[in-house]
Amino acid sequence: MIRKTLAALSLAAVAPLASAQTATMCVFDVIGANGDVYNMVKDFALEMKTHGVDFKLKPYTDEGVAIGDFNSGQCDAVAALDIRTRPFNRFTGSVSAVGALPTYKDLETLLATLAQPKAAPLMKENGYEVLGIVPAGAGYLFVNDREIDTAAELAGKRIATLDYQKDAIRMVNYVKATVVPSDITNFAGKFNNGSVDTAYAPAFAYEALELYKGIGAKGGIVDYPLAQLTVQIIARDEVLDDDVAQKAREVAWGMFPQAMNMISDLEEAIPDDKWIRIPENDIVGYQEMFRENRLEMRDGANGAPVVYSPKMLSLMSKIRCSSNPGASECTADNRE
Amino acid sequence: MIASRLNRTNGFSARLPKLIAAGLVLVLSGCTVNPIYHTTGVVLAGYAETEATPYVLQMTDTKMACSLGEGLDPLVYSFSRVIDAPDSTGSLLMLLSGNCMEYRAWEAELDYLRADYSGDVPAAKDAREVSKRLYAQTATRRYEAFRRAMAAYDFDPAAEPMECPFLFTEQDEITFLVGLLTGMQAIVNDANSGAMAGVPRNIAPQAERAAQCVDNEKWGGLPNAVRALVWLLLPDTRPALSPDPWEVLQNSADLGVKTGFRTSHALQVVAAETFGRPDVLADSIAHFVAAEDQIDILEDYVLLDEAARTVVTFSSDKHWTKNYGHRTPGRFMGKMSPERDTSNIETMSLDGLL
Repeated sequence: MIRKTLAALSLAAVAPLASAQTATMCVFDVIGANGDVYNMVKDFALEMKTHGVDFKLKPYTDEGVAIGDFNSGQCDAVAALDIRTRPFNRFTGSVSAVGALPTYKDLETLLATLAQPKAAPLMKENGYEVLGIVPAGAGYLFVNDREIDTAAELAGKRIATLDYQKDAIRMVNYVKATVVPSDITNFAGKFNNGSVDTAYAPAFAYEALELYKGIGAKGGIVDYPLAQLTVQIIARDEVLDDDVAQKAREVAWGMFPQAMNMISDLEEAIPDDKWIRIPENDIVGYQEMFRENRLEMRDGANGAPVVYSPKMLSLMSKIRCSSNPGASECTADNRE
Repeated sequence: MIASRLNRTNGFSARLPKLIAAGLVLVLSGCTVNPIYHTTGVVLAGYAETEATPYVLQMTDTKMACSLGEGLDPLVYSFSRVIDAPDSTGSLLMLLSGNCMEYRAWEAELDYLRADYSGDVPAAKDAREVSKRLYAQTATRRYEAFRRAMAAYDFDPAAEPMECPFLFTEQDEITFLVGLLTGMQAIVNDANSGAMAGVPRNIAPQAERAAQCVDNEKWGGLPNAVRALVWLLLPDTRPALSPDPWEVLQNSADLGVKTGFRTSHALQVVAAETFGRPDVLADSIAHFVAAEDQIDILEDYVLLDEAARTVVTFSSDKHWTKNYGHRTPGRFMGKMSPERDTSNIETMSLDGLL
């Protein structure tokens, strides 16, 4: 009896959380364990302890390696940008579809909708489950010349394009600009040294990657969200029970205000005169341009790659038409 | 009545030269400022720079040095109201006060890790929140220290092309260099606060460029260590044909031991934590500890080595607390687990005794 008690005590000393389930998570953050995303995931992990899961986090500064390690089974879960996590869940991977969520209010509605228990079946695909979605900020177009303020002006311009982002490549080709294949670590240098005319990135990059250098005196940032980037936490389906996975999504949704605070601070830090405001009429035109391209990338029409989930496009269309019921797309025959 | 008025007029005339002289002093000393304040400011700022700073840099007690920063900074820097801002001393004082705040944040972070280890989630959340607030204050102080260090040498870190500042003395060099390092620390602290302090992130590439203004060998590899850390953070900033940043960090750590202060080790440890390199972390901490027997600490900059020790110790404590629930036991400093190597210890057979 005494021996058993002693054994139990020594076990407790070695593993005080024996009752909690342990899972490893590869976390991508451009600045590793001291980055904003990593710190937010730390908050997520702490909250998840309340629900009996002990996430062990590992920082990665190379997103491709983080995904690779997840694929090879070195981590049970991965936190990365949705452009990279699309293969695991096309539905949530389509949140960043081009021009699909023109406001943060729309994004809030979407993420609140997806955090509901009713959305749980949509969170599972191909043996993977989405454990949470947190905003990473809208992607904007950075240009080295303010004259590039219409889609037509992009023709012939060189655009730093993530080489694994099929929808971006499609859009660059669509506006008859030139794709300059890039990755997260080198697009800023290309923009700043003038080897490309434009690049797209969240507001974070303006200061941290010194994109103001590439903007110079003549350029600016087009004040229209090209896409809503999010950080998504994906796990292998068997890692968490369904009810715990649902709790995880609710925890991630609870972090929305924290993430938005950070994003709005970064966007507000950009001097007002660097933003290029575009006329309302042009915006209507772009919305239609993006919508047509989304449809093509949903169906693989006109040689477009199949990138987007029809269900997600339909949901985002409903959200847009709820916040802007007068938009022409809301009465179009080919609604998403 | 009339006579008394005349007397008063005569008295006024007699005092006139004195009044003019006093007025002149006021004008010369900067308009409406009490001349004593001005003189005191000049004397205090001069004393702080020529005597107090070298004295503090020779101290071994990092806690006392940081208290000095917290206590004296508002007094010394308040003289920027009456004389030119004493930016170089102000930078060091603010840097020391930033260290004080960081020590508090570290304690809170260890509290968080300990509570997390023992599964007490509310206590862990509370401690994490405390640490975030303290890191935000640390970041604010350090950003101010960075700003003052740049201002002290009229250096515009954003200027293109960059123009190195005139650094006349060793103290100027180290104040400038440590100012850059403090700017980098401000970014890390701000990230750990949940970006509460709003420190501009472009300090990192600016520091990478400015670090080239200071001699690498002379300053224990610290300038290159700063650069290598930025190369890891922002690979775009890494010049073509430059060596691997991890090699540079190791070279800097070695140079630091040769030169007599191990600040580069602190950067190596921070890089290892940031970029998830437990192998480098373990080696760096072990190397730091092993160097105790060989290093000849640079007498004039003892405080730098001691400050590095606090960073390395905290890093080790974080590892231990995360994995074992407590700080590094004294005899295990330099090791990452409580396992003892008993392979060389002989034991006797007890056969025949039982």
